Amino acid sequence: MKSFIKITSVFALIIALVSCNSEQRSRKIQYMGDTDMYDAVPYEAYSADHKVFKNGMEAQTPVVGTIARGKVAYDYPNSEVGYQLAKDSLRSPMKFKAPLDSIYRVSKANLAQGKHLYNIYCAVCHGKKGDGQGDLVKREKFLGVPNYKGRQITEGSIYHVIMYGRGIMGSHASQLNDKERWQVTHYVEQLRNDLLK
Amino acid sequence: MKSVNQHRKPLRLFLSSLIFILFFTMQLFAQDGNAKNGKKIFNANCAACHKLDARLVGPPLKGVTEKRTKEWLFSWIKDSKALIESGDADAIAIFEEYNKIPMTGYSDFSDQDLADVLAYTDDKPVKDASGTSGAATAASLGIDSLQVVKGKKIFNANCAACHKLDAKLVGPPLANIADKRSADWLKLWIRDNGALRASGDADAIAIFDEYNGSPMTAFPELKDADIEALIAFTSHASILEAKAKTGDTEVSNVAEVASIPWATYLVLLVVVLFTIWVYFISGNGFLKLMMTIAILIATGYFLYAWLMGIGVDQGYKPIQPIAFSHKIHAGDNKIDCQYCHSNAKHSKLSGIPSVNVCMNCHKSIAEYTGPVTEERDKVFYDGEIQKIYDAIGWDKEKLTYIEGYKQKPIEWVRIHNLPDFAYYNHSQHVTVAGLECQTCHGPVEEMDEVEQFSPLTMGWCIECHKKTELKVESNGYYAKIHEELSKKYGVKKVTVAQMGGRECGKCHY
Ligand code: HEC
Ligand code: HEC
Ligand code: HEC
Ligand code: HEC
Ligand code: HEC
Repeated sequence: MKSFIKITSVFALIIALVSCNSEQRSRKIQYMGDTDMYDAVPYEAYSADHKVFKNGMEAQTPVVGTIARGKVAYDYPNSEVGYQLAKDSLRSPMKFKAPLDSIYRVSKANLAQGKHLYNIYCAVCHGKKGDGQGDLVKREKFLGVPNYKGRQITEGSIYHVIMYGRGIMGSHASQLNDKERWQVTHYVEQLRNDLLK
Repeated sequence: MKSVNQHRKPLRLFLSSLIFILFFTMQLFAQDGNAKNGKKIFNANCAACHKLDARLVGPPLKGVTEKRTKEWLFSWIKDSKALIESGDADAIAIFEEYNKIPMTGYSDFSDQDLADVLAYTDDKPVKDASGTSGAATAASLGIDSLQVVKGKKIFNANCAACHKLDAKLVGPPLANIADKRSADWLKLWIRDNGALRASGDADAIAIFDEYNGSPMTAFPELKDADIEALIAFTSHASILEAKAKTGDTEVSNVAEVASIPWATYLVLLVVVLFTIWVYFISGNGFLKLMMTIAILIATGYFLYAWLMGIGVDQGYKPIQPIAFSHKIHAGDNKIDCQYCHSNAKHSKLSGIPSVNVCMNCHKSIAEYTGPVTEERDKVFYDGEIQKIYDAIGWDKEKLTYIEGYKQKPIEWVRIHNLPDFAYYNHSQHVTVAGLECQTCHGPVEEMDEVEQFSPLTMGWCIECHKKTELKVESNGYYAKIHEELSKKYGVKKVTVAQMGGRECGKCHY
């Protein structure tokens, strides 16, 4: 009897030693774990292993030729021709001309939002000032980012580049919606003008 | 008692030898200070008044150890005033020379620190990533290293988007391009390759055709000197690289010392032994009773704590399919959280980035060059990056997506997951309330592997709602309701809970 207790207490000690040190690699048990109160009956976003779709994935790209709700169509093709076309003819819907004003302007709120978004999505490479000196460039992880000053860009071409990317720069269309792309575009224009001064 | 004594002797021997070894290694270190650490100390303490190679408030410090003895320097740095007062001629001369401005004393520096700083002042290679030592080797080869450095800058800013030195990118590799083409040809081509082609130059047309007829951007703004520097760089980049290899790749051997709470185990052991003694050896009835009560209370306590932990996955840290490190991305490289978790601003979910987002950077970053540890070396990290390419079908040699590749998803393991009956929305907290991700998710930018930082219990949600005030500025939506509510509760600023953040129906429906 005595030795039995001794042995169990030694075992308990070893278990305590082991369990305290390990990382938590699996979930703990859940109260009413398997009921639908906890785990959704409908599919969770991004889950895999569902048989509804051919490739078993929840996240699907839109059917070719359709536009998801809330998205805006963009007709310029993803090519050099499309780039030139956008550069020459694509104009922002966000600019307005106040009475008695000769230039088209963008509202302060849109520019402020553009700055906020630019600092999140573009500044890692292009730098906060648009001089091509973002953190990734300074750390020599990602090279070849131009100074906006050195490029002949228009609002149309900036929008096009955010939409499809250019050269080694990738598309940022999945991270920014139509309105936000224009806000960023106008902030880039502003940065460029400041750099050219 | 005896047995205790017997144990002590070897222990003491062991300890004293340990101390001896420690002391000995310290001595060793003190001999040749650690220049890297010295640089840190120098930049934090000395750089305000000293440069290495030029006079600032104080004299330049490069090679100072050749001028003065170590002992002298130590006592000067620790307390220069005392040294001057002691009548040391050198000290007085310096004091006079620098307008009688006394130097701050650094008496709290250890000898090791000082040795490190001095090592830094005479160890040239650490000084500048692109400077002196490269220049030394370059000079012996008759290369103008300044030109190479300048060329590198120009290359990185203009050419690197489409060219690498030793591999094909959008355009051809450029290493040693001067062996193939003349400088004049290169100047014409770089400034305006369209015109060169139009003039019927056979080489130019051949290149154009080889690279699928996509024209290269023209750089009319580059001057002759710039292009010469570029050529110098493409021919002699290796002098900078050799430098980078010796200087930059630091293997940080920060072996994590597992902090085992030995004290806890010791106490536990004593308690268990005591219990056994009470029940089976002592035969004391009162003690047994007290022990039983104590054990019951303890069991109740631990059982309660265990039950309350059900379904609370604080600290959950599953193994992910790719050893993606937030420390490297969000911490070291300062990529904003929302660059990847871009849904947080508009939607309920923050979302895990799809592979195209990874590829925005990893089209070009195919190799890891940051600091490594023993278990996670460069080969490991490169393998992890390769996993992205395997998922999406990217050919990193040809730099194209493989056509007809059967892409497969990267199946990240979800960590944070509220039960289905609770509704939580990121955009309300991130965009409207303007909370930082870190308030709820902890210091993610320091985690190599993400773990659940907060308990995500209902009490946790409510606690924050009770004490956080609404951010009403620049939010027209709140203007009216805020005015009414602050009147009703008689407060200046309304908390989330007062606005209704504690009503059941807001989260459970
Ligand atoms: C991963 C790094 C990276 C990020 C992030 C990035 N860019 Fe770029 N960008 C580049 C590179 C590299 C180029 C040069 C591409 C080339 O000309 O081949 C470039 C070029 C450009 C150009 C000039 C294209 C032209 O017409 O010559 C514009 C405009 C631009 N980026 C805007 C943006 C905006 C806006 C964002 C944010 C939504 C952004 N970039 C985010 C790397 C980046
Ligand atoms: C380069 C892209 C990237 C950046 C930048 C990034 N993340 Fe992540 N994040 C991911 C990926 C991929 C995962 C999934 C893999 C994992 O859990 O490690 C993830 C997972 C997470 C998770 C766990 C999700 C879950 O399953 O519950 C949290 C929380 C998180 N990130 C927060 C942050 C925060 C906070 C920041 C900013 C400090 C940040 N992330 C920056 C890509 C990124
Ligand atoms: C904004 C640019 C950027 C994006 C987006 C990005 N990475 Fe990275 N990634 C980097 C940089 C920079 C490094 C470090 C390279 C170095 O130090 O040489 C890196 C390193 C890595 C590594 C090796 C180190 C580690 O973390 O284990 C892996 C794996 C990796 N990335 C995976 C991913 C995945 C998966 C995604 C998409 C969810 C992603 N990256 C998105 C910039 C990015
Ligand atoms: C108020 C607290 C709070 C803040 C602030 C917050 N989160 Fe979360 N986060 C949560 C909770 C709670 C969950 C679990 C949600 C669920 O399971 O429905 C979660 C889940 C996640 C997930 C995994 C599930 C998903 O939504 O895709 C990611 C990734 C994530 N957060 C990233 C972020 C990022 C990035 C930020 C900053 C922009 C952020 N979070 C800010 C509380 C917060
Ligand atoms: C770090 C603090 C914090 C935590 C933790 C937190 N919240 Fe909030 N929550 C806020 C703030 C601040 C607001 C007010 C946002 C606004 O200005 O509308 C808010 C608002 C809400 C609202 C909208 C309330 C209303 O009246 O419209 C809901 C629903 C909500 N939170 C749910 C949750 C849930 C569920 C959790 C736990 C998983 C949680 N919150 C955790 C800070 C927090």
